[in-house]
Amino acid sequence: MTVSKDYTAQEIIIVAGAKVLEDKRVVFVGTGLPMVASLLAKMTHAPNLIPVFEAGAVGPHLTVGLPVSVGDSKTFTSASYVKGLNSAFEMTQRGFADYGFIGGAEVDMYGNLNSTMIGDFPDGYQKPKIRLPGSGGASDMAASCEKTILIVPHDKRKFSAKLQYLTSPGHLDGSKDARWKAGMQGSGPYRLISTKGIFDFEEESHRMRLLQTFPGETKESIQAETGFELLFADNVTAFAPPTVEEVRLIREEIDPTGIFVKRA
Amino acid sequence: MKDTPEMFWTGLSPDEARKALVNKDKSMRDKTMTLKEAVDTFIHDGDNVGIGGFVDIRQPVAITHEMIRHGFKDLTLSFQSAGMAPDYLGAAMMIDPDHFSIKRLELAYWAHEAFGLAPMFRYLTERGLVEVEDWSNANMSSRFKAGAIGLPFIPTRGPIAGDVARSNRTKIIDCPFTHRPIALLPASNPDVAIIHVNAADKYGNCIIRGSECTCPEISMASAHTIVTCEQLLSHETITSLPKDIAIPFLGVDAVIEVPYGAYPGACRRSYYYSKEHIADLHRRTSVMCKTGSKDELQAYFDEYIFGVDDFSGFLDKIGVAELLKLKKLEAANCERLV
Repeated sequence: MTVSKDYTAQEIIIVAGAKVLEDKRVVFVGTGLPMVASLLAKMTHAPNLIPVFEAGAVGPHLTVGLPVSVGDSKTFTSASYVKGLNSAFEMTQRGFADYGFIGGAEVDMYGNLNSTMIGDFPDGYQKPKIRLPGSGGASDMAASCEKTILIVPHDKRKFSAKLQYLTSPGHLDGSKDARWKAGMQGSGPYRLISTKGIFDFEEESHRMRLLQTFPGETKESIQAETGFELLFADNVTAFAPPTVEEVRLIREEIDPTGIFVKRA
Repeated sequence: MKDTPEMFWTGLSPDEARKALVNKDKSMRDKTMTLKEAVDTFIHDGDNVGIGGFVDIRQPVAITHEMIRHGFKDLTLSFQSAGMAPDYLGAAMMIDPDHFSIKRLELAYWAHEAFGLAPMFRYLTERGLVEVEDWSNANMSSRFKAGAIGLPFIPTRGPIAGDVARSNRTKIIDCPFTHRPIALLPASNPDVAIIHVNAADKYGNCIIRGSECTCPEISMASAHTIVTCEQLLSHETITSLPKDIAIPFLGVDAVIEVPYGAYPGACRRSYYYSKEHIADLHRRTSVMCKTGSKDELQAYFDEYIFGVDDFSGFLDKIGVAELLKLKKLEAANCERLV
């Protein structure tokens, strides 16, 4: 496969996200880049991937175009089952979602995410500096999908030592069995994909650990843009750039009008 | 037990919700009326209003326009994820809080996914003009479900750890059966539900295409429900497949046929989103957020809401070309004939 020389930060995130998904698994898809990554996975190595959307669509083939919303009409066409929000979340709580694909405005070293507010919680909760949209279904997916894949654009303020608000629970304080003790079921953050590399969470400490660097990045350059101390895998490898075909699929087949994937 | 705000009910308490049904006329009677009559009759200052749909699908837009023409004070808005309905109500408060005001929001998400943030939400919260209680989508959906099935609370495994449960009235207890922590959420029984559906009969039996969202739960939980529908059909047609009825007549108090009643949001099988119209409203709102000048937002309201008698007046201004374009896009989404 020919390696592409022309791809964007968003496109490499999408390719990396797609590759984490295994065929024949159920993925609970959040809005935005997770949709593009799930479609790319379906069009490449995972044709039997089963997407679930929180408005209630289960297993649509997604052949009528990229949804702009997890409630988009395009998610219902060819779906195997459509009820409503309760049915989607009840199935997830029961254990039918292998992966959850979510994002946030801020992430900490344990994979906890903030998508609620920038400001001082709880004292400034009723008058935040910046009000973000809120959890939506992200915190439910974080709690109850078996494994979660996090997508966060990489910069020092977003990779934060302390979240201003913890919306979607990851590995909490990283202590042993923290999620189980809190009453959650899923095993929590499995991978994090940023604009600089791919991370997992070390088995004992549950701290974010660099696995692969994206082209142009090093351990040092990534640490320099991270607001906490990263762990590094014994053998940090370079992630192969997207292929020409992958970039073509994203630009021409999946998101030709640039709904989520910006050209610049 | 962790700290939680002191327990209180917004809308009806579970006992009040039960009592509200005891003396209600449950007969199968004609509930068609004008939207103005429905809003006058069933919505009051201080009410907790349950909003149907999800983000920008099947939002009860026509009902929000009528509510804005009427004017209300100190409403509580309850929803899981919403876009256009709270956008209109929030913008109405921005331009004239003496005419229309929101006191409180119980929500999981107010924004527009691919169409961006809701500048109204930022304006009202960052200035501390509304009380907020954050929940998750599953939380709000479960709370409506508890209300709909006559229970005071519902156990859930949602975001039991983190700050969402600290922002609201969730109680975390040790499960009496497993002895692990479990979250209990108080039921939501709104005073009134506002819902847009695909089709209904005059008694209020409703058919919904695509996602039911949380509309059946909100309708059954609320003391009263106003339904707008794309198509008002005969009772015989609507009940030809009884299992297709998502909301039974018992859960509905007013039925109004309002084609395109969720525009500029989308309605499965009928029309897709008007990205451009949504962007225009957001641009005008952002001007007010940035400069404090409400002129452009006021002009929108004067033209499209205060300047017309009803929703068909609004659609006349939108024009048939736009409505046909969105209908055609939705036909492609559904792989159906227009």
